Amino acid sequence: MKRNILLYTLLIVCIICCTNAYSQEKNIIVNGRVLDKDTKQGVPGVSVVLQATNKGLTQTNGDGKFSVNVPVGGTLLFKFLGYNTSSVKITNQTNITVTISEDRKDLNDVIIVAYQNRPKETTAGSVTVLSGKDVSDIPVSNIETLLQGKVPGLNIQNNTGAPGFRGSVQIRGLSSLSISGSGNDSFLQPTSPLYIIDGVPLDADKAAEFGFQTQGPGVSPLSLIPQEDIENIQILKDAQATSMYGSRGAYGVIIITTKRGNSKVPRIKYVSNFFVNAPPKLRETLGGNSERLLKIQQIILNAENIDQIRRISNTPFLADSLNAYWNNSTDWQDVFYQTTFNQSHNLALDGGDQKFNYKANMGYYAEKGVIKNTGYNRYNLNMNMEFKPNDKFRFFGFVNGSVGKQNKGNGAGLLQSGVADNGQASTLLPPPSFYQASGGVLSALRTLNDNNSRNLRTNIDARYEFIPGLAASSTLSYDYTSDTETTFTPAAANGQFAKLYDYNGRNFQLYNRNAITYAKTLGEKHNFFINTFNEIYKQGSQSSISRQERIPNDQLQGPLGYDGYYSRGGGVLSSYKNATIASFAGSLSYDYDKKYVAEFSYRLDGTSSSGLENPYSKNSSVGLRWNFNKENWLTDKKWLDYGSLRLTWGQNIAPTGNLQSIYGKYNLNGNYNNTQTIGIDYDLIPNPSLKPTTTSQYNLGLDIGFLNRFSIVVDTYFKKVDNLLFDRILSNTTGFNKLSSNDLGIANYGTEISLNIKAITSKDFDLSFSINGAYNRDVLLKLPEEYNGQYIRFDGSSYLQHNVFRVGRNTLSNYLRINQGVYSTDADVPVDPVTGKRYQSNNTFFLGGDPILKDVNGDYILDGRDYEITGNSQPLFTGGLSFTMRYKNWGLNMYASYTADRTILNNALADRIAIMRDPYALNAVVPLGDLNIWQGPGDVAKYPYPYDYSRYGNIQPLRADQTLWQESGSYLKINNLTLSYMFDKKLIRRFGLANLRVFGSTNNLITFSKYSGPNPENVTTLGRDISNGYPVPRTYNIGLNLELNTGN
Amino acid sequence: MKSIINKYFALLLLAVTVCSSCKKIFDLPDEKDYISNNVNFTNKILEPIIGRTNLIGGFNSDNSTNPITFEIVNVRYGDGKPVSDLFTTAPTYVWIAPYTGLEKSLAEIEAKRKIETHPIFEMRSSGEFILWPSATNQILKPRPTDSTNYSQDTRFFDVKVKNTGGERLIKDFQIRPFRERPYEPSNDFNAYTGLPAPDPKFPLDKNLRDYIRPYLNNVIGATSNLNLVSNNDKKDAIVYIRPLTSGGNGHSLRIVVLGKDSLPIDPKFFNETVWDKMIHGFNVQKTDKYVQYDVAYPIPLVEIPTSYAIGGSRAKAQLSYSRIGFGGARTVANFGVDFAIYKAGDWEIVFYFKNENPKFANE
Repeated sequence: MKRNILLYTLLIVCIICCTNAYSQEKNIIVNGRVLDKDTKQGVPGVSVVLQATNKGLTQTNGDGKFSVNVPVGGTLLFKFLGYNTSSVKITNQTNITVTISEDRKDLNDVIIVAYQNRPKETTAGSVTVLSGKDVSDIPVSNIETLLQGKVPGLNIQNNTGAPGFRGSVQIRGLSSLSISGSGNDSFLQPTSPLYIIDGVPLDADKAAEFGFQTQGPGVSPLSLIPQEDIENIQILKDAQATSMYGSRGAYGVIIITTKRGNSKVPRIKYVSNFFVNAPPKLRETLGGNSERLLKIQQIILNAENIDQIRRISNTPFLADSLNAYWNNSTDWQDVFYQTTFNQSHNLALDGGDQKFNYKANMGYYAEKGVIKNTGYNRYNLNMNMEFKPNDKFRFFGFVNGSVGKQNKGNGAGLLQSGVADNGQASTLLPPPSFYQASGGVLSALRTLNDNNSRNLRTNIDARYEFIPGLAASSTLSYDYTSDTETTFTPAAANGQFAKLYDYNGRNFQLYNRNAITYAKTLGEKHNFFINTFNEIYKQGSQSSISRQERIPNDQLQGPLGYDGYYSRGGGVLSSYKNATIASFAGSLSYDYDKKYVAEFSYRLDGTSSSGLENPYSKNSSVGLRWNFNKENWLTDKKWLDYGSLRLTWGQNIAPTGNLQSIYGKYNLNGNYNNTQTIGIDYDLIPNPSLKPTTTSQYNLGLDIGFLNRFSIVVDTYFKKVDNLLFDRILSNTTGFNKLSSNDLGIANYGTEISLNIKAITSKDFDLSFSINGAYNRDVLLKLPEEYNGQYIRFDGSSYLQHNVFRVGRNTLSNYLRINQGVYSTDADVPVDPVTGKRYQSNNTFFLGGDPILKDVNGDYILDGRDYEITGNSQPLFTGGLSFTMRYKNWGLNMYASYTADRTILNNALADRIAIMRDPYALNAVVPLGDLNIWQGPGDVAKYPYPYDYSRYGNIQPLRADQTLWQESGSYLKINNLTLSYMFDKKLIRRFGLANLRVFGSTNNLITFSKYSGPNPENVTTLGRDISNGYPVPRTYNIGLNLELNTGN
Repeated sequence: MKSIINKYFALLLLAVTVCSSCKKIFDLPDEKDYISNNVNFTNKILEPIIGRTNLIGGFNSDNSTNPITFEIVNVRYGDGKPVSDLFTTAPTYVWIAPYTGLEKSLAEIEAKRKIETHPIFEMRSSGEFILWPSATNQILKPRPTDSTNYSQDTRFFDVKVKNTGGERLIKDFQIRPFRERPYEPSNDFNAYTGLPAPDPKFPLDKNLRDYIRPYLNNVIGATSNLNLVSNNDKKDAIVYIRPLTSGGNGHSLRIVVLGKDSLPIDPKFFNETVWDKMIHGFNVQKTDKYVQYDVAYPIPLVEIPTSYAIGGSRAKAQLSYSRIGFGGARTVANFGVDFAIYKAGDWEIVFYFKNENPKFANE
């Protein structure tokens, strides 16, 4: 009671004092307007707060105007999310104009760590934040495309132009050595980062489990996100930042936050793009009679006997030049490639304030592929709303629905082999027409391919704060995707019988997270933050196919399965999944006056796919941060804006095995005593002690900003990926062939630097640059003991381009024959001093014009023993540049990216020159005049003589497994160039618009490279430029952003 | 202020360099050459023939990293006796330019090879064993004449296979050289003893022996008018490949045809013979008793197909003649032998028509 009296007394005193204070001051009415510093537009919804009372007085209207009653001498604060707070002291002025600028200071950012918003200056992890603006203005089917070169250490290679598909994404180097397929189809299993969209995790590798041989639509889940709806993207790179995301964060985490409503009056924004996709320069081909003459010349000049010359007369397309069938000049590439006109539209409606806001976003995106009969369409409707009546309670929910429709033609999507093969057909053949074209052409152009990926993602999220600092939150989300594909090949394209392929898949993820957080400040300077949560995933997927090889006619396109004889079955694919993951995580974060920060976290992941003896994977991390600019000896240094050092360590542990590797595989083995028997499959021995892959990472970072102009972030890291899955070959006495073991390890180490310079900031003219770069080197740490430090993955295809893993070396090296030039004359061929025979291959001696292939073992015979380890298919340097300029209403920005020091194999060129090996074949011929080819004795050339068709089979001068095709894959690419114009506000108001901006942009504009092929980026992750890949188009775009004037 | 920035930059750069470029602090393994646990040889018993170029492969590196060095160690007889003769050095020809079969003179041929001194038995970097042709029966004792393979008569050795990644010792190779066979076909003497080989039809008859046999086409006997043959049953013609007793210059080859009376038949009778293109020899001397060439040994020089040695491994001595046969048609007859001579010197190839002379007269 005594205490209560004291309280009341105090209250009364306060009131009296306050009224006294008020009564002493004179209030005035201040009118004003809040302008955005960059756009010079009024900013609606800005809170106007009186500093003395910390009381919100009003908010600006749709035009940014406000009117408040304030005491003279008071200070007004103008607060708006995402902007720097600006303050104005009121003396006697009644009309003020306040400019607020977007908050770009790195350290004031709020970032999301373990699903909680945290000030960046108290987190130790290595995190880069991009704003939605960085991924706007260029219409793309997959926003990953636009992240290229913007984040150091995030290596994105847009290596396919196939609409709706993904390129490759790696954060801080290589994390897997799992390669499937052979030859050009060799496919490095992607290790994409974990994507979290508005708090809900998403598996970006979903469509990649079958390598290049995509089953089903193959639409990446990321291709279903409309780029216009993105507010910001946050990239977590080091293990301290990702370890709270558990095993799924082992390859980095990318957090995408979509836009929220934020306007007193509802805003209607519309973005539209019209763009042209142009195929890159295609292969030059000699047409018509030139082709015939070149072939005849080749035969005559290189014939070894008279029969080869006589064969010309027996080859109709060479001899019978007057026959109408052989007298053509058909441009086959033109049959398959096209320039396309495309569009995208996005309409967004949003409104509300901090207390309640809502957003609806409708999007449409349609892109036709530069290869005919391919394309991608996307339809979106995304809605979210947030209700936050006070600081105690928050409720957020979203519903995102999207449909991706893809057309893969007759290819597998990423590969278009049919197009590549038919593009090489002889130009002498007549152009395609339905009655007589080759089946390949019809198959590529007339195959009906209908792919749909329908996704519904819903989420509700609620947070309640029991007492100040202690809050509980819960998230529940459900994500469902239904994938279907139907491919119908008409009879004319498939040997007179139509065929049908049908795919049906579904995927779901039910996700729940419950968190309790507690924030506490002790003694004003000791800040604690505790975050604990648990997560439960329930994931499932099942897909099945069914194939009917012959169906009665072209009109009957289903249902499938009228005839058991021609049914090729299919059934459930191996991507079947039914998994549960349960996780518990906790973190403690402490800082002393935001100067010294320490963070600790621990997370347990239990999954059904870990070995029985290691069911839980334990992820822990430690982070330290020192904001040294807050030290006394630096606080008075005006030039230093901020500065901090970060040191972290963390672990991500991810299960690698599958149920088969832990429990073995059991098959039905027929009957015994009339009883069905089930026995183990003797290929793989079960390994219940299979360990999960452990990724541990150290990171040392430095953030520094000075002179209000320069900001630098440097991170250096060491990342060790241990316990990777690798098959060990067992002795046959065990009865089993293989054991899945954990004896593979990789290390990645490197440095990332990014530098931002705001060179000029003024009323009419802004200029800024940024440059970033990452150096990453990977090293193979260990292999199972019996391999003794080297494992060669032999390529079973005709390319013979083997991969070799050698301990202590970069992980993915090629194993090739070493090309040392071309023998200038016959006399240059070495002679075996013992036998007197010349250097030979397949019992044929090398001669002038043949390649000098290193005789590695010194037996003067080129054979399978003459391979050496060479090259590195993974880039050492990646990075990007950007340049942004604004002059009055004009804006210009440019993004470029570069990749350096990687080896690529130009298989496309090898294939192209090798067309010459058989002049009697109905293939196109290509002009080789641009290449440094050996022509006659004495020539010092790079490329061997390709026309000697008689000896071609034995010498194979253009064999793919030689280092002649190994070239540097370094490039500098101007990704985007955007020129925009913002119309004057007053002008467009007359037309009922609040905002109008038009822009022209390009994507994939130009690539600078010494590479002899078309595009050093358009190569597989193993660095092979394959001729059946999908070319990356160049895009030219005209777009507009407009906002309706829905205010007064 | 500038200097402060510079100082910080320097510190920063230092930190970056220390942390990322120094591999050592990460404790990364060094790359080393790979040497497989499975390096081996497909054949560990070497049976070369002395006096010829023997190149014996069979090394399986299992993709071990080249360069690999090979060292022959621990050479001994099976009973532990030391071996002294295997690495005797001797001058031998090594090729420095490719032999084509188109050379116009002996000097041109000799310019393509040179003499080097090598141990008669060695290994080269490919893992192949070389027994140089400079070895002779005198330098290297051949395997026992009684064709036994007792361990005390067999030279054993081990091979150390080494690269920078490590080394492997492959043990217990055996080398059992056959005595010199200076020419081929060599069915006329025993490969173990060097003594005349028994007649294949009557192997126990000590009075009979085996001969090198020529091929004969359309060769008609002068008296019998039957086709002459040379086979196990009937040997109308046989061939001797033997050192020339006189008239040689150290690098000559003489071709002689003997009649049944053991007297030379005038080579002019073999009117269709292309003497100039038969043997890759120079300075052809044609007498009424023989035709003689200056040649370079061995014949063939290199085992590659040339116009003198179609298949590569054997040169061809073929004599032919024509006559008017029955019905007035000209028939062409020929005979010859596919041969090789490995030992340099003066040699003669003798075709001996034992039973009757060929018929040269027209019908």
